[in-house]
Parts: sequence; C-alpha cells; structure tokens
Amino acid sequence: MQNNVLRLSWQVYLMAEDSNRDTLPGMGPLQEALRALLPRTKEELKLDLSENVHRSVLILLQQATNLFYEGRRSECLQTTEALLDYSWEKLNTGVWRDVDKDWRRVYSFSCLLKTMCLCETPGDATTVAAALKVCDMGLLMGAAILGDILSKVAAILQTHLLSGKRPAQGPAQEQPGIKKARNGHTSIPDTRSEEAVPRLHCPSLQYFRKHYLVPQRPVILEGVADHWPCMKKWSLEYIQEIAGCRTVPVEVGSRYTDEDWSQRLMTVNEFISRYILNEPKDIGYLAQHQLFDQIPELKQDIGVPDYCCLGDGEEEEITINAWFGPPGTVSPLHQDPQQNFLVQVLGRKYIRLYSPQESEALYPHDTHLLHNTSQVGPSMTFQLLPHPTPFLESRQMASLAFFRSTWRILTWRSSPGLLRPHSCPASCLLEKSCSSRLNIGIMCKPWT
Amino acid sequence: MAEERRGSWFGFGFCGFGQALGSGRGRQVTSPEPLRAAGTDAEVCSVSASWSYTAFLSRERSGPIPPGPAPTCPRLLLSWLPAPAGAGQVQLSGSARGAAEGCRDAWASETLLVVLRDGRGPGAGAELQAWAPGSALCGEPLWAQTVVPEAQREDREDGEGDGTRARPLPLLPGARAYVSPLSPLYRPLAPELRARRLELGTEHALLLDEAGQVYSWGGGRHGQLGHGTLEAEPEPRLLEALQGLPMAEVAAGGWHSVCVSATGLSGHGPGVTGTTGDEGGAPASCIALQPFPALLDLPLGSDAVKASCGSRHTAVVTRAGELYTWGWGKYGQLGHGDTTSRDWPCRVEYFVDKQLQAVAVSCGPWNTYVYAVQRETS
Repeated sequence: MQNNVLRLSWQVYLMAEDSNRDTLPGMGPLQEALRALLPRTKEELKLDLSENVHRSVLILLQQATNLFYEGRRSECLQTTEALLDYSWEKLNTGVWRDVDKDWRRVYSFSCLLKTMCLCETPGDATTVAAALKVCDMGLLMGAAILGDILSKVAAILQTHLLSGKRPAQGPAQEQPGIKKARNGHTSIPDTRSEEAVPRLHCPSLQYFRKHYLVPQRPVILEGVADHWPCMKKWSLEYIQEIAGCRTVPVEVGSRYTDEDWSQRLMTVNEFISRYILNEPKDIGYLAQHQLFDQIPELKQDIGVPDYCCLGDGEEEEITINAWFGPPGTVSPLHQDPQQNFLVQVLGRKYIRLYSPQESEALYPHDTHLLHNTSQVGPSMTFQLLPHPTPFLESRQMASLAFFRSTWRILTWRSSPGLLRPHSCPASCLLEKSCSSRLNIGIMCKPWT
Repeated sequence: MAEERRGSWFGFGFCGFGQALGSGRGRQVTSPEPLRAAGTDAEVCSVSASWSYTAFLSRERSGPIPPGPAPTCPRLLLSWLPAPAGAGQVQLSGSARGAAEGCRDAWASETLLVVLRDGRGPGAGAELQAWAPGSALCGEPLWAQTVVPEAQREDREDGEGDGTRARPLPLLPGARAYVSPLSPLYRPLAPELRARRLELGTEHALLLDEAGQVYSWGGGRHGQLGHGTLEAEPEPRLLEALQGLPMAEVAAGGWHSVCVSATGLSGHGPGVTGTTGDEGGAPASCIALQPFPALLDLPLGSDAVKASCGSRHTAVVTRAGELYTWGWGKYGQLGHGDTTSRDWPCRVEYFVDKQLQAVAVSCGPWNTYVYAVQRETS
C-alpha cells in the first residue's frame, strides 16, 4: 500500500513538471529512467558495510535513504551533504591506497542520493549538468556500488544533456577555435643522431616475448592499432561531443615536480576551452586518468593489444590510462612501477629512454613522494645525463611503443594531444609532443 | 550577584545528530546560542565534542564563590570554572546518549568514549575506561585500566598551583602514555618528553612539554607537523622553528596545528600564534600548504591565550576575552551567522554584543563550544 502511495505521488510530481516549459525536453522520462535504476523499497537500497564505518554514519545513511523514499528532497540533500563531507574527510585521511574501500562506497552512495535529489526538481540543463558533476565525483573518488549504478546514472544524464543540445554547436563552429591553438613552434629534437628504438611490424607474440619482453628491451610495434576506431574517429569535436560534460582530473603546471603544480577537477569542455584552445595561459594536462572506465563510450573506440596477455596478471588488472594535452607538456624523467604499452593516437610525442644501468646517474629526488623522479629537466639532459640509449619518436599513426619497467621515462610533448600510454616499463621516457595540434595517446599496463 | 559572575557555555556549528548545541534546533547553528544543560544545579566544566555526539563533564559547584569582582585575566578566571578536583558527571548528547557518575575527565571520538573515573571503592586509584559510544555507558567498557596512584598524586600537586587542569585526556595521568581512538588504544610516551598536554589530529599528534616546547609526529602530507616538509614522522620530533619560544597551548585540527605562546615577544607584545598545515577554508581552486609555523596576527594586535581546532577550522580566545574563528564554515562552526568559510581570523561579534567575555573554547570536528562570563558593567 505504501508503494502505491509513493508511486502515485511520483506520477503527480512528474505531471506537474511537464507543464513547466523551461525544462529540457524529456525531463519526465529522465526521472523515470533514474528511478528505474533504484530498488522499489528503501529496505532494498542498502550497502553492506564493515565495522570500520561508524555507527553514526550508518544512522545518517538510513536517515538519508528514508528521506529520499519519502520524497523529502531538501532534507535528504542536507543529510547527504553531511555524509559527503564526512566521508570526504575519510578519503583524505592517510595514504589513498590505505583508505578503507567502505568509506569510498559511503561516498559513492551519498553522491548517488544527491544526484537523484538534484534531478528530481524540474530544472534546466544546468541542474542536470550539476547532477552529472556529482555523479562523476562519485565515480572518480568513490568505489562501485549497487552494480556500478553511478555509471548507469551518468549514461542517462549524459544522454539527456546531449539530446537537449542545440544543433548549432557543430564542428563548423569549432574550427576557428582550433585554429587558435598553438601550432608547432616548439622545437622537435633531432632523433637521427641518437640510437633509435627498433621498429617491427606486427611481430608474433612469441617473437616479441623472446626478443623484447624477456630481455627487457624497448621496441616500437607498427600496424598493431591501425584498425582501432579511435584512429579515424577521434578529434576535439568528437571528444567534446562524447565526453564534454564529464568531470575529469587535470594537472595544472609545467611539470609535477614544480611547486605550483596542482590537480584540479573540471569538465572536459572546460579543460579543452581553457587549456587546449584559446591560447592557454598555463599548461593543463589530463594525465594518467582511467578515462575509459569513467566514459565507456570512449572505450568502444579502442582495443587492447594482444601483447598485453603476455603479462603475469589477470586481464582485469590491465589499467588503461588516457593522456590528453596541449603542446609543450613535459613529464620529467621518471620510473613507472609497471610495464607499459603506449599508443599515440593524435599528435607527436618525443620520448627519451634511459637504461636501468644509468639510474644512478639520473639524480633521483630524495623524498619519498618523488623518489621515482629525476631532478633533471629536459633542457638540461644533454649536458648532465649520460648519452641516452635509445630514443623513440612516436608518430601520428598507431605505433605501439613498449618499454621495460626498469627503464626510466622522461616525457614532454610539443603539440596538443591525447596520449594513451599502455603500460610502459618505466624507462627514461622523454616524451615531447611535436607539431600537430592534437596529441592523443593511450597507455595500458598489463604487468604488475 | 552570584549569577552575574557565573559563566555559561555557548555552542554553534553542526548538530545534525541532535547533540546539544544551543537550542539544538535544525542541523546546524550558525550563531552562538546558550547551551541548555540537562541539570540546573550541575555546572558544565568541560566539553569534549566528537562529530556525532558531545560529552559534557559537569560537577556540582563546590564551596561558595570567592568574594570580590571577577578577575579579568583568563588564567585566574579559569579557576572560577568548577575545578574538577572532585569527580562529576559525564552526560552524552547526540548519536550517543547516557550518563555516568564519578567521572573526572572525558574525551569523545566516533569510535571511543574515554572516561577517567574515580576508582571503585575507597582509596582506589582512578580508572581509565574506554567505551563504545553506543553503549550509553552501560554494561562493561571495551577496555579499562587502573591509573597508577603515583601518577595521580603528581597531577594533583601540579594542579593545585594555578587552578588549571593538568594533563587532560587524551594524555593520561602521569604523562607516561596517551589514549588513541585507533588501535592500539594505549600508547606509551617517552618519560623524558615530560608531556604537559597532548592533542590528536586526524593523522598527527602534538605534544607540549613542561618547558613549553612542542613536539609533533604522525602523517605530514598537509604540512601539519611544522618541520618544513611533507614527510611523515614516526616518533615525536621537536618543532625546531619554535624552539626557545615557550608555548602555552597547542591545538590539533584535522590536518592543521596551532600553537599559542606563553608570553608576548616584548613587554606587551602580541602572543605568537603559529599555524601549520591547511585548513581547507575558503573553497579556493588550489589549497596552498604551509609546512612551517607562520606567525598569525590577530586583528587589533590582540593576544591569543587559548586555542582549539576543529576538523578544518580554528577558534582562539584572546586575553581581552574576545573570540576569533577562521577556516571552514559550511556548518556555521565559525559562529558569524552564516556558512561562509574564512581564511583570516574574524571576531565573533555575538560575544561583544552581549557583553560576554570568552574564557575557554573547545572545538568538535564541525562545531565550537565556548565558555563565557558576563562582563562587569562599569
């Protein structure tokens, strides 16, 4: 009986919204679609949490759930706000990997309720975009709950935002913006004089394993990713269309060893408009982010190289990161703990590698936080560092670069782009983005 | 006339669990409100607030109020507070309820309520008990330990002198150990540290010794340790930046630290307030970390004498009896009548307007309790 009453009140609410002409088309269906994701009764909307979650938090979670199912939206928002702030403090206590997963789940649950509450009022695109931001925070900082419900919520919200967009926002309008992007005035280092990383065309798995994986040698594998849809489909306009309203972490500052380096959250549209187009004032880099977990629509455009199956770990343990940035981004000489495959989708990247034997000559930082990073920047490398062996230049097409984990990496890019690095064994990888506008690459880490 | 000089507690900030905080209406109180204590005869002498509940320690006022006008110096004024030489009652309010008699001190956290109680039976030493907050202080504590009688005697000798309570929790009597809300509960301290006061932040700890020197240890990623780096310290390390400058008070917030100096820099100079770490105050796009103590000037050159920190805010009482707060303000914990965060110390006008002299302050993670007395009308 109670359920009927609830459903009746929902229907009345929806009908009231339809009469509001300022809403996006299809606001009613949005709520229906969201509601359909949730269980019918509040008793079923539950998280199984360990003892590490305080009794007081369980009280608030129950209270928030009750308020939501009773339709007391503003009170529910107040309660979830306290839950969000408290679990946020837990997420910021200690080292990230030691944070109890249950606190992240509490955070996700709170994001879920807040998103639902925000979408319940008749609103405009701004409200839905705000709700999507909250949802993204839950995806970025939280942990999967209720069958990865936040991903489903994000998909619904995104669909509704896109359907409300005016057709004028098409590629034609974007072109002038792209032309304003800086274009190749960063110098491209000469790679001829140095020893280049060898290139092979689609070697067999056994050949690759025997000659490169086992002896720990870097190699460029050509032709492996040519057929991936991203090679044809990806452009700034496409990324904006598919993922423009999604919130992502951006690194701001020339390099992560600088004092004024920081990380910020912003939507992909904001990132592109501020750090790719319109003559950016500072460097912003969407770096090392598992974009494809967050935005499954983009994941459909890429593949996973077969060579990744040669790793020790399970297929689920392969992490796929995206790297998306303007020209001139630099990653200092560093070492990754994992093996890497790097696919450059758009733009050019200059990468320099140093062998593990040369680690001691590379001036690692003293501190714990930066002990995998050299104190030496790219402009100084020629004088201070030993002769690099070997070089690599990633080109615009789908070359797949493989690096051993013991090598050290220094990267910088001289053109904007999205780089998706595959697990590169942490070598000295000096990446420099070269002349083309967009630099897009993919990296996945099959080995632990 | 006695009522005029008697002080009372005020509260503001988060009360989403219904913990007593002024009127206790709604989920947050943005401006100070008088606390409604449960018993009218009992005087609340100290407050320990956790996120979802508050522990009030009260006792009957012993003896008559001394004659003469109320002293203006906060140190002497504190002796007016019902001194907890005898035992009193602990009352819980919020997500945890219940009360217990025979308590000398109480310290509240989400996982543990720690109480120092009179021993059961005559002549017995005091007993330290750790309770689950939800137990309502009924049944058996999670953990109990008798306090060594010598330690108690030491404290009483120290305590008699200036009327201020020596070694409050989480520092244990005798200063050989302290209590932590995380396992292990009982943590020994090196005796050569001669701890006078200990404060716990979310990831770090601050210790003030008999000589006024400050030690810090624990996590340091937010610069809260004050040693100039973001590295953690496993053991108590002397805060060299403040060496030679005797401190009177230390306070630990969630991820920041505050120290108040004992005397001014000159004959009548301002008290030095150092703060390290970040307080997450104004929602700036970027929070800068401050890993060294930095001198913080209060407006009008006021002297700080007492300080307390919440999760992401700070409250300071000055010699003149004013209250300044700054940091995160989203739940009204700054007491300025709004939910705005502030990066710089701002005076809480309520006390000025009501002719109240702030004497003591105790912050919970998201709220603030202040003890104030009515000023002499001259």
